[in-house]
Amino acid sequence: MTDAAEARTESSALIAEEVLGFQRNMTRRGIIFSFTGYISEGILKALGDALRQKIRLESTDTKTVNRVFSVFVEQVQNVIRYSAERIEHDAEPPVELSSGMITVGSENGRFFVICGNVIGRKDADTLAVRLRELAGMDSDELRRFYKEKLREPPDEGSKGGSIGLIEIARRASEPIQFDFQHLSDAQSYFVLKAYI
Amino acid sequence: MAVVETIEHEATDRTPAVVFDFAAGQYRLSGESYPEDAANFYGPLTQGLRQAVEDRASDEVEFTVEMIYFNSSTAKALMNMFQILEDGAESGLNVRINWCYHDDDETMEEFGEDFSEDFEHADFRMCPLT
Repeated sequence: MTDAAEARTESSALIAEEVLGFQRNMTRRGIIFSFTGYISEGILKALGDALRQKIRLESTDTKTVNRVFSVFVEQVQNVIRYSAERIEHDAEPPVELSSGMITVGSENGRFFVICGNVIGRKDADTLAVRLRELAGMDSDELRRFYKEKLREPPDEGSKGGSIGLIEIARRASEPIQFDFQHLSDAQSYFVLKAYI
Repeated sequence: MAVVETIEHEATDRTPAVVFDFAAGQYRLSGESYPEDAANFYGPLTQGLRQAVEDRASDEVEFTVEMIYFNSSTAKALMNMFQILEDGAESGLNVRINWCYHDDDETMEEFGEDFSEDFEHADFRMCPLT
């Protein structure tokens, strides 16, 4: 074996060790899949199909499959619509890519969906108020609030997202968790985690 | 009076099958709905319905919804169409809405119950399917 080939083999072994370690770490945390990077509606569709197939195979009841899928769709569409890291282009068909992270997993027999993305600092304040309000509601209150919001014209600039958050809270089995990390004067990192 | 042509779409993975026969007053949405752009998909349907109701394109309206799953943007679009139908019924149009769902689907049943609250003049029927 030449020196170069030997060096390549050694470095490949290190890559495999690192990648396997990364994958095992994810598996240990119950992660079914995790996606980081630019997200489009096409990616939502593909991941959503894979998610449904995977959890149906685990003979999960239809109700749970539907709930997990619904939370997944609303969370990912929120990232697509509200991530501050985005590329938009008026091409035909239009290009809309938004950067963020989506993770779906299961823990102690319950599924969870986590999304993370950068948002504007001001939006973070508004969002925190909204989410705190939702966290304090029981299922009947959430049901009424959803209905109330459906009747109203959408908030300015909301693109319908406030109803999406209520939908997530309704399908979740406990109050949704959320957190913000200060990035700069202009931006925060927003994380939403829902157990189903 | 402008004649609105029937709108028909086959179901896709993300959008429901649509039949909006304005002249016959027969409307049907069935399948799943989480379109890439709900405003783009439902906009022409809502516009067509609004015009048909205003113009009294038919003497009666039967509007059937048979959904398995829809996202929150679709819920908003359905609400807009239901408001048009209730307004039409209030001004004398004979309107019936059939809300069809699988009888063990609590989510769709709840949505039906919640939508039904907004109808005073139109006849909103829950149609559980086995």
